[in-house]
Amino acid sequence: MNLNINGKDIGVDVEPNMPLLWVLRDELNMTGTKFGCGVSACGACTVLVDGEAMRSCTMPVSMAEGKQITTIEGVSTSSGPSAVQQAWIVHQVPQCGYCQSGMILAAESLLNENSEPTDADIDEKITNICRCGTYVRARAAIHAAAKMRREANELLGSL
Amino acid sequence: MAKKKIFTRRNFLITGGVLGTGVVIGVAGLNSHVNKKLKKYSGKGMGEGDSINAWIRIAPDNTVTMAIARAEMGQGVYTALPMLIAEELEIPMSSIRVVHPQPESPYANTFLLTQKEPNIFKGYSMMEKVYAYLPIIGTGGSTTIPDGFNNMRYAGATAREMLKQAAADQWGTNRNKVKAEAGFMINTANNERLSYGELASAARNIELKELPALKKRNEWKLIGTKADRLDIPEKVFGQAEFGIDVRKEGMLFAAMRHPSVIGGKITGISNQAEVEQLKGVKKVVLTDFGAAVIADNTWRARNASLMLDVEEDDAGNGNINSEAIQASLEKILDEPPLATPEAEGDVEAALSGTDKVIEHTYKVPYLAHATMEPLNCTALINDDSAEVWIGHQASSVCKDVVAAATGLDKENVTINVPYLGGGFGRRGEPDYLKKAVAVAQQMKGVPVQTVFTREEDMRNDMYRPAALSRFRAAVSEDGEILAWDNKLALQSVSHSSMARIMPSMATAPEDDEATAEGAIHLPYVMKNRRTAFGDYASPIQVGFWRSVGSSQNAFFTESFMDECAHAAGKDPYEFRLSKLNDAPRFKAVLEKVAQLGNWGANDGKYRGIALHKSFGSIVGEVCTISQVGEKQFSIDEFACVIDCGIYVNPDTIEAQMESGIIFGLSAALYGEITWEDGGVVQQNFPQYDMVRMNVAPNIKVHIMEVDEYPGGVGEPGTPPAAPALANALFAATGERVRELPLMKAGYTFA
Repeated sequence: MNLNINGKDIGVDVEPNMPLLWVLRDELNMTGTKFGCGVSACGACTVLVDGEAMRSCTMPVSMAEGKQITTIEGVSTSSGPSAVQQAWIVHQVPQCGYCQSGMILAAESLLNENSEPTDADIDEKITNICRCGTYVRARAAIHAAAKMRREANELLGSL
Repeated sequence: MAKKKIFTRRNFLITGGVLGTGVVIGVAGLNSHVNKKLKKYSGKGMGEGDSINAWIRIAPDNTVTMAIARAEMGQGVYTALPMLIAEELEIPMSSIRVVHPQPESPYANTFLLTQKEPNIFKGYSMMEKVYAYLPIIGTGGSTTIPDGFNNMRYAGATAREMLKQAAADQWGTNRNKVKAEAGFMINTANNERLSYGELASAARNIELKELPALKKRNEWKLIGTKADRLDIPEKVFGQAEFGIDVRKEGMLFAAMRHPSVIGGKITGISNQAEVEQLKGVKKVVLTDFGAAVIADNTWRARNASLMLDVEEDDAGNGNINSEAIQASLEKILDEPPLATPEAEGDVEAALSGTDKVIEHTYKVPYLAHATMEPLNCTALINDDSAEVWIGHQASSVCKDVVAAATGLDKENVTINVPYLGGGFGRRGEPDYLKKAVAVAQQMKGVPVQTVFTREEDMRNDMYRPAALSRFRAAVSEDGEILAWDNKLALQSVSHSSMARIMPSMATAPEDDEATAEGAIHLPYVMKNRRTAFGDYASPIQVGFWRSVGSSQNAFFTESFMDECAHAAGKDPYEFRLSKLNDAPRFKAVLEKVAQLGNWGANDGKYRGIALHKSFGSIVGEVCTISQVGEKQFSIDEFACVIDCGIYVNPDTIEAQMESGIIFGLSAALYGEITWEDGGVVQQNFPQYDMVRMNVAPNIKVHIMEVDEYPGGVGEPGTPPAAPALANALFAATGERVRELPLMKAGYTFA
């Protein structure tokens, strides 16, 4: 089976129903994506599939074939950390940090769809569990990242 | 003649010897008060360069490796302790690299057991020596800063002076002519500079004849400032290694299958051969703790473990259920108490002297910890050595457990502590280590990572106990508390937990200070008061859960204070305030939080207030809610004020208050573990839900400026959250909720 992960084509030899999460973590040793519940309830395993947040703990790897998979390891680009990651650092969001890969990818997905989310939009789309309760800071960081992305886009548009 | 105090590293060179790796063992700054054995550290994993002492190693490029033997589980210890060292050492935070050292004596947390400020550099008391000798290395009870506040600064200061002397020697000048600045020593006569990295090798042999003076508070550059956490970038880039992320060459993965009944045992597996044929499965093993499947992938191991047909012995616990537990707890309330940790005046006389006794019973359920990272441990057991990788709050306990389980000498046991994906007390327990070692012992020479599924994690926790609290009070017309009588019924946490963690220190239920902690020594003036408790003995394992006794007792006492206020026709804030004239720190926190939370505002919202001291810090919270429907509320805001004495990293303290409040709210809204047929009913987050973004309130935090020794910050934010919310609900509805979680009374939040 061929997967495209963070822009790279990778072949794996696994059962088609193995959740993408375990292909990433145990077959490819890409441990940035976390196991939290195994039932799509907590969001720690969130990755982007064709730019959209998906919970990889219940997504059979066969469904990800032929799609662009982005994990936390692929969020930064050669030009540096993403706007969301930068905002996450500025706002000092993580505590234990375990849920944060999933939280960051959920935020990336939200901003891919909505360049100026309201608090209500954030409430609706960010349903990840953080046991340390970093929600207040994550919300502030999402607003800040949205602004950074809009400003970057305006700059690009004006060139 | 007084003994001459010599703070040096070299005398340990002589007495301590050298390890095979060439790393010198010894600790700078210890004098003759401390046993030689307490000085030993291996320096294992501390990277390049020269060790100045047990905490500090400086590489030629001026990178400073700090050995921090406290678990980083989100509470910021990998930043706060380095700040204390860096303040005195005079280095920028950006030059620091943190490692978790082996559990060795210099790193003991004596405060955890003595609750007293230690000073390793002046010499330990007898009990402190014992705790250091064992050693006791743990992260809990919000003790990291209280234990390390002076010691870590002295660690930095002694190292700084040793480096300074090395520079002075090189320049042929006096130490007082040398200035330390941002990782360099400067010759004040000619501005010549040497980096710490250039001096480290000479500095390690310097003898100091005196304990250096610590910087005065007005000289601090780092302590008290919002320092960026050192661990955040790697957590944002997905590079932080948690226990579950450990990957070793040739490693295998195991899934545990626990007995379905608490205290039960899996006695046999009828389809072992069949399961061993499944793809990826290497071996099915039966241990004292349950069955396990070892496979080449966690998912394959987990699926196979579910297919095991097991025979079980329920140890006679198959009839444990929540209704029976509740009936037992109620019965205990009617029986004579086991202990009465607080009694002042004559409560019975005061209660019989009035016809207006306020009497109510409060109730909270068992709670699971549900750390985001499910429990796991990687173990490699060889014939002559063992190594484990485990996110654990007590590395010294880990070493003891592995040595005992394998029969190996402790020096052949290596404990690696990666990041913890949450701890909250759960990761102080040895069970998941014992289980992983038992599994790996059946696959010698191969690293095996044993992972609990969420379901196994939730159903095999060491729970916060269910508890009842029955109050009787008499309040005078003018609002004086004439009598306050509180009787608690619950399982003893320390009795249950310490028997597992440190059996030699197991506490009898009647001596368990955690049971009534937060219910006694209330700051309010009361004419007569009494708090007693009874013990519920059960095979259910209970454990330390963020804020422990205060997690339920603050809900009980601060809700009932509100009831007393309303019975007297007083404003709940004014009522409390009037009883704090002898407790100025409490009073100041209460006044400040009332202001921060707009207490008394006429804005159509409802407010509740709560005040509680735990782990050396006083926290006041005002919860503001809006009604959005029948029994439907929005939790708009929490205002939070903390007096933790001198504060180290205010941004971390704010984060811990935010965290503590959300943790308390999750329990208040949804948290309930129930029992049926000897097992836990809840399996996963859908049945044991958490506050999420849509429910999380805005949180404002204020830290009081108080020049007192630091208190803890990891736990004290949690206790006031539930009563502040319950009191706000009363303000909104006139209904007093006396049982958690609130969802049971039909409340919903959005």
